[in-house]
Amino acid sequence: MNRLLSFALPLGCLALVVALPLFKDLAPAIAGPYPLSLARSIFIYMALAISWDMLFRSGQVSFGIAGFFGLGIYGSALSVLRLGMSPWLSILAAGLFAALVALLIGFVVLRLRAIYFSITTLALAEIFRIVLHNGGSFTGGPEGLFIPKIISSDNATLYWLALSGVVVALAASSWFERSKIRFALTAIRNNELQAKSSGIGIFKYLLVAFVVTSFVQGIVGGIQLQSYGSSSPDSAFDANYTLLPLAMALLGGVYSTVGPVIGAVLLGFAAETLKLRIPYGHLVVYGIIIVLVILFMPDGLYGLWRKRARARRSARIDARMAAKGASRG
Amino acid sequence: MLVTRRSILWTVLGLAVAIAILMWKPTILVYGIERAGLYAAVAIPMALVLGIVHIVNLSHGEFMMVAAYATYFSARALKIDPYLALLPVSLVMALFGYVVYRLTIRQALKAPELNQLILTFGIAIALSQTVNLLFTGQSWKMSLSYVSASMSIGAYDFGVYDFVFVAAAILLAVGLRLFLTRTKMGKAALAVGQNAKGAAIVGIDVDRTYAFVFALAVGLVGALGAMFLTKQAIFPGVGGPYTMKSFCLVAMAGVGNITGVLWGSLALGLAEASMNGVRELRDWSSIVFFVLIIATILVRSVKEKKA
Amino acid sequence: MANLETRALTKRFGGLVAVNDLSFKLSRGEILGVIGPNGAGKSTFINLVSGIYLPTSGTVTYNGKDITRAPAHLRSAMGIARTFQLIHPLENLDVLENVMLGFLFSRRLGRREARLEAEKLCAALELGNTHREVSQITMLETKKMEIAHALGNGPEILFLDEVMAGLNVDETRDLIRLVRDIAASRNIGVGVVEHVMSVIRELTHRVLVLEAGELIAEGPYEEVVKNPRVIEAYLGGAA
Repeated sequence: MNRLLSFALPLGCLALVVALPLFKDLAPAIAGPYPLSLARSIFIYMALAISWDMLFRSGQVSFGIAGFFGLGIYGSALSVLRLGMSPWLSILAAGLFAALVALLIGFVVLRLRAIYFSITTLALAEIFRIVLHNGGSFTGGPEGLFIPKIISSDNATLYWLALSGVVVALAASSWFERSKIRFALTAIRNNELQAKSSGIGIFKYLLVAFVVTSFVQGIVGGIQLQSYGSSSPDSAFDANYTLLPLAMALLGGVYSTVGPVIGAVLLGFAAETLKLRIPYGHLVVYGIIIVLVILFMPDGLYGLWRKRARARRSARIDARMAAKGASRG
Repeated sequence: MLVTRRSILWTVLGLAVAIAILMWKPTILVYGIERAGLYAAVAIPMALVLGIVHIVNLSHGEFMMVAAYATYFSARALKIDPYLALLPVSLVMALFGYVVYRLTIRQALKAPELNQLILTFGIAIALSQTVNLLFTGQSWKMSLSYVSASMSIGAYDFGVYDFVFVAAAILLAVGLRLFLTRTKMGKAALAVGQNAKGAAIVGIDVDRTYAFVFALAVGLVGALGAMFLTKQAIFPGVGGPYTMKSFCLVAMAGVGNITGVLWGSLALGLAEASMNGVRELRDWSSIVFFVLIIATILVRSVKEKKA
Repeated sequence: MANLETRALTKRFGGLVAVNDLSFKLSRGEILGVIGPNGAGKSTFINLVSGIYLPTSGTVTYNGKDITRAPAHLRSAMGIARTFQLIHPLENLDVLENVMLGFLFSRRLGRREARLEAEKLCAALELGNTHREVSQITMLETKKMEIAHALGNGPEILFLDEVMAGLNVDETRDLIRLVRDIAASRNIGVGVVEHVMSVIRELTHRVLVLEAGELIAEGPYEEVVKNPRVIEAYLGGAA
């Protein structure tokens, strides 16, 4: 019964999430245009939060999510406007563009890690913004770019497009969790000397993590652009796209796929309510959340749950082994 | 300072660059030095916190911003000159820094370093957004008569007020050096930075040292915030670039190398001023420090590879 | 031909010479002791051999190939493994996962294979419930886990950095038996850096004595222990 529940429950939730737009006439309160657009916004942040956590698993803190997200926005816009790509293909191009930039930058910056890497990423969004701001007519300058038409004007399609961004992030994160990469990143995070003595090429794995997460962030940027149709340097590289995903992943539980999802849902709704109540400076809540989580709950909500689950499992095995030993006499 | 072949080479190079700039657009030399003064002054407290005791504080610039706002409102309310408010504001900031240290950073020091990064990032957001909340994103500026003091040499006019930052930087550099070498707390800070456990064993109160150094740095950066207000417009996000540039300068110079910070600031200031002087490059001047970071990282990683 | 060989290996940190002109050989199946007073350069020596440090001058040769510039993770994959003096087991992996690392990366096995092999190894070393967190196991188990982790790399050469530290008499005996067994049954050349002389006496075929970064004596334990220079190094100059 327990197993059925642990399988059926998430599957049921998932089905509901996917099928939500279909209920728009039945339950407009949760499936009408406003809730759907709120959900889309949550999905965007969710995907970014997952991608941030993926790199964080290696012990590297990136403050540059907004940078690669913005590159994705511009990558998609420029692909459509200057290369005549189809909107769908441009989203892929956005991801590849962000990944390429990450490869070049990471090649240099990942040689020295920790603070140096983090500060560099902090500067990235600003650097990219300036470059695109000064790019003249090619990049649309300070006013930004408009694409002729957005990918679809159907709310349901846009909802599923945003959801597919989450799917991409989930797939990437899942890959990181199920393959050797999980061991490599965890080892690197814990102790680089021990990692090296296990045959782990640290630079290689960090570069892979950086490039893949930037790819995801670029894809999400492309999705964002194709959903709204325009962007400018200031809005594409808005610091919110770094701040919120970071807070979400921390609160929900780092070093996991589920944690950022939980965090995104919780803080996504909170963000919406706060924005309406407090026009200026509602972001202070995120700063405070980050401080509190780091001090009092660094494993996040899911992390706490997971620790207890592992302890229980280990105790069960202890008991089993003791019983075996006792029966042997 | 050792007189080595390398340092002679750098001095000659530096002089050559200075003369070149002088011949091309002399005002750039002046503005570059003035800029450098501000950067150096803000970077030196970070050299103390990051370079000496290795506390990562991403909210460095935000403390300066808060001090600037505090100075603005107290100067306006009491109808006094900001410089009169400077001392009280720095003391209040030092106290504030101590409180922040006690409540938050002290815990994070026991955890891996990336916790400090994230924690102080959170603090930076909290500070700048609180200011945003209280005073909106609008920028405020004080108009003071002495700020537009200028001088003319030959055919060139330039503002000289900003040299006050150069003076502050030199004062801070000398003061810091004296602090580290002549005072007990300063020497304790050096010891703690080199080996915290060892310092504890020889009887140094490590926690008190961290608290003092952190509070001192915040107080100093607060003083700079008060000065900053006199010349620049302030808005909630004004501190961010200074955090990054300070970090960049301290990282470039290396641990405990205060003169390195001064030279680095000079290079940064001159580079930015030069770019500002050329119309086509003006918009790109803020990228200079980024190039500097990348260059630092490259040089460092090559050096480490050899070791 | 010896498997691992160094020639004139030197490591300088600024003005400090940590290891100076060190030449030695180690072959599979041998157990080599490395002793010396504190600060003699034993840890630097292991770091040089394992690739954590790159030497200032001199060469490191492995199975005939020059690996002087090879980084640590490549050396682990090649067959040179080591344990660490300050225990660094990884906290977010349980015991089994720690041991799996070498199998996964140096030997490039898949997850399932690596898990099976690691389980076998842990059973052979009597590590009990391998799903425990690293913080929950005893001192002896931690040492065994370190050794198991190193063995996961499939090494031909293994350096143990003061692995006996902090163990009582019975545990030390346990571990001595284990090391002897490893060297013999897996044909591994083991370098044992130790302070505990009884361990060196029982375990090793040959001993290197370091002082201030230099090799001052080499030979079987009984000889080396009578060497006046060695005695002086440990007890200080003419009293």
